[in-house]
Amino acid sequence: MSYELWAEKYRPRTLDEMIDQDEIVVRLKSFVKAKNVPHCIFAGPPGTGKTTAALCLAHDLYGENYREYIMELNASDERGINVIRETVKTFARTKPIGEVTFKLLILDEADNMTDDAQQALRRTMERYSETARFILVANYSGKIIEPIQSRCAPFRFTYLPADAVAERVRYICEKENVEITDDGVEAILDLSGGDLRKTLNILQTAASTGKPVTADLVYAVVGKANPADIREMMLTAFNGDFIAARDKLREMTRKYGLAGIDIIRQMHSEIFRLNIPDSWKIKLADYVGEIDYRLVRGATEEVQLSALIAKLVEAGYEMKRSLK
Amino acid sequence: MATYVPWTIKYKPKSLSEVIGNEEAKKKILSWIQSWEKGVPEKKALFIYGPPGVGKTATVEALANDFSMELVMSDASTYRTEETVRRFAGRGSQFGSLFGRKKLIVFDEVDGITGTADTGGLSEIIRVIANTRNPIILIANDAWDPRFAALRNLCLLVEFKRLSVTEVMRHLARICAGEGIAAEDKALRFIAERSMGDVRSAILDLQALAQGRSSLTYEDVSWLAARDRKETIFNVLRMIFYAKSATTAKNAVNMADVDLDMLFEWIYENIPYHIKDPRELAAAMDAISRADIYRGMLKETGDWSFLRYIIDWMTVGVAFSWSKKASGFVPFRFPERIKAAASTKEEREMLEEIGSRIGEKCHLSISRAIVEVLPYLRIILQNNPKMGEKIARWLNLTDKMVAYIVKWK
Repeated sequence: MSYELWAEKYRPRTLDEMIDQDEIVVRLKSFVKAKNVPHCIFAGPPGTGKTTAALCLAHDLYGENYREYIMELNASDERGINVIRETVKTFARTKPIGEVTFKLLILDEADNMTDDAQQALRRTMERYSETARFILVANYSGKIIEPIQSRCAPFRFTYLPADAVAERVRYICEKENVEITDDGVEAILDLSGGDLRKTLNILQTAASTGKPVTADLVYAVVGKANPADIREMMLTAFNGDFIAARDKLREMTRKYGLAGIDIIRQMHSEIFRLNIPDSWKIKLADYVGEIDYRLVRGATEEVQLSALIAKLVEAGYEMKRSLK
Repeated sequence: MATYVPWTIKYKPKSLSEVIGNEEAKKKILSWIQSWEKGVPEKKALFIYGPPGVGKTATVEALANDFSMELVMSDASTYRTEETVRRFAGRGSQFGSLFGRKKLIVFDEVDGITGTADTGGLSEIIRVIANTRNPIILIANDAWDPRFAALRNLCLLVEFKRLSVTEVMRHLARICAGEGIAAEDKALRFIAERSMGDVRSAILDLQALAQGRSSLTYEDVSWLAARDRKETIFNVLRMIFYAKSATTAKNAVNMADVDLDMLFEWIYENIPYHIKDPRELAAAMDAISRADIYRGMLKETGDWSFLRYIIDWMTVGVAFSWSKKASGFVPFRFPERIKAAASTKEEREMLEEIGSRIGEKCHLSISRAIVEVLPYLRIILQNNPKMGEKIARWLNLTDKMVAYIVKWK
């Protein structure tokens, strides 16, 4: 076995190596052929190959030394548009040598930028469009402002189909000499839901035990890794212990740095998996929506999530009462 | 009418009979001043002492008025040196006034004097008293200052006490009548009570609250409750959680010795320890989370008008979300959020650096690297340390970082 993360090791290097997303690949190949790339938006859920596609495009466009012609920025990390603007300025000042007359700038998590920052980005894009083309990578294209969208070629990535993922899993197991059972593959697919990065992280973690990868092993491994037990926190609340549930929440946000909005989303889907009356599911889902709304309005994550936990405590209490 | 005259001046008593309270002291002063008519009495000086704002100076001024005496008043600047005291006293101690009016020499605010019985301003006052042919009055808050021992022996001591609530109210009512303000008794009582017998501060409060109005209600004055009294956070929390009225709960905010954000954290932290009933708990948490929304809006817009909603929800909202069945003494706990933020700064930086290195290798942002990759890396490190460490090296993580990830709990 190798000592890299498989998600990186098996990341496709060229457009030809990309699995699925055929339509997208065809269009990108035509850019390579024309040696011209417009500004692009790559939108879609995590682990569906957006960043990979951008890197493959660069590889095919510039050749093996493609790293010299591209720049990767992450909008979540680079603090403020000014950093980006300055970086872009330096980067785009010179034309590359060779047939391709522009450099490629990959801006990841572009949907995390504020509208103001996006406006500034739009101006930067226009100003340097002769020497730099932008690929904006985002989970939601709707969060990209209209003027940028209209200047970009849109690419919509979707979750990979289960059989394509299964095939990839088997392929990697063969390469890495990992024994995997059918139910092991099923379990991984079930947990990762078409997110290839997650798929490979789970696979590698299960395989690191040195045992054959079975469904049981997969669930045991993921149980430990899984974003600090949102379900457990919810059950603690249902059983009436608000203080313990709030402590778990604090652990999740502090230890895992989980964002409130992610916890909310997971709580929302967990609600529908809980063994509670359906009439309660919608009541709770409604309150989840309310809290989500409050967070969008700029409230504090922990305070809002605590209010949600308190609601679960109340729901648990009411349910027990109605059973008596 | 546009000029601002402090009501303390405007309604200053013109005669001893108008001075409120301290009847005994007034009687003593009166008989002492009358004794001067039969020649120089044994005690040539009077030492009036008592807390601020109870009418000491006003009494002396009213006295001079009643007896048509010329008032020779000192102030704190008089006491700087022996020389300034002597010059001041010289103005009046030896001879009667030009127009035959008797002089009354007053050393006000004697507490501020420098020196001892032998030197400085104090020794000069003693000398002035010894030589005077005119009545002298000393005024101070505390006559029992050891420095005044020699002085006390030369003087007749007169104590002024704090005024009763009724006495202060009576004076306030007189002012209101003079200003044409219809004031509720309850409002005046409130002002009088919190003045703690200091009629001057009561008048100042009254003027601040009532000038230019035709009426004054309890509602108009009750917010004063908090003004200058700072309570410990624990008392404030108790006032909020166990408030019997909305007003009490809201006023508690102004009494807190911490800022509003901090008070918010205290309330948020302590709700579940006091409010146990699940339905009430949910209601209280909902109240504090509503306060939190407005807090967010205030921060975002900088518009302070949101403040009132923050206060409403975090105090009244919380207080009236539960039945306040006290279950024995429950101590208040320090906010965890504040503690945590203070103690884990270093850890957060470490985590961020790890996230940044993983992110670089895996084309991810710091936060997504922490959530999506780190948990798996940790398990690999536990299951298979050799493999995990090699992956960690590939990710450019240091040994220290690896150690941190392994014990990361």
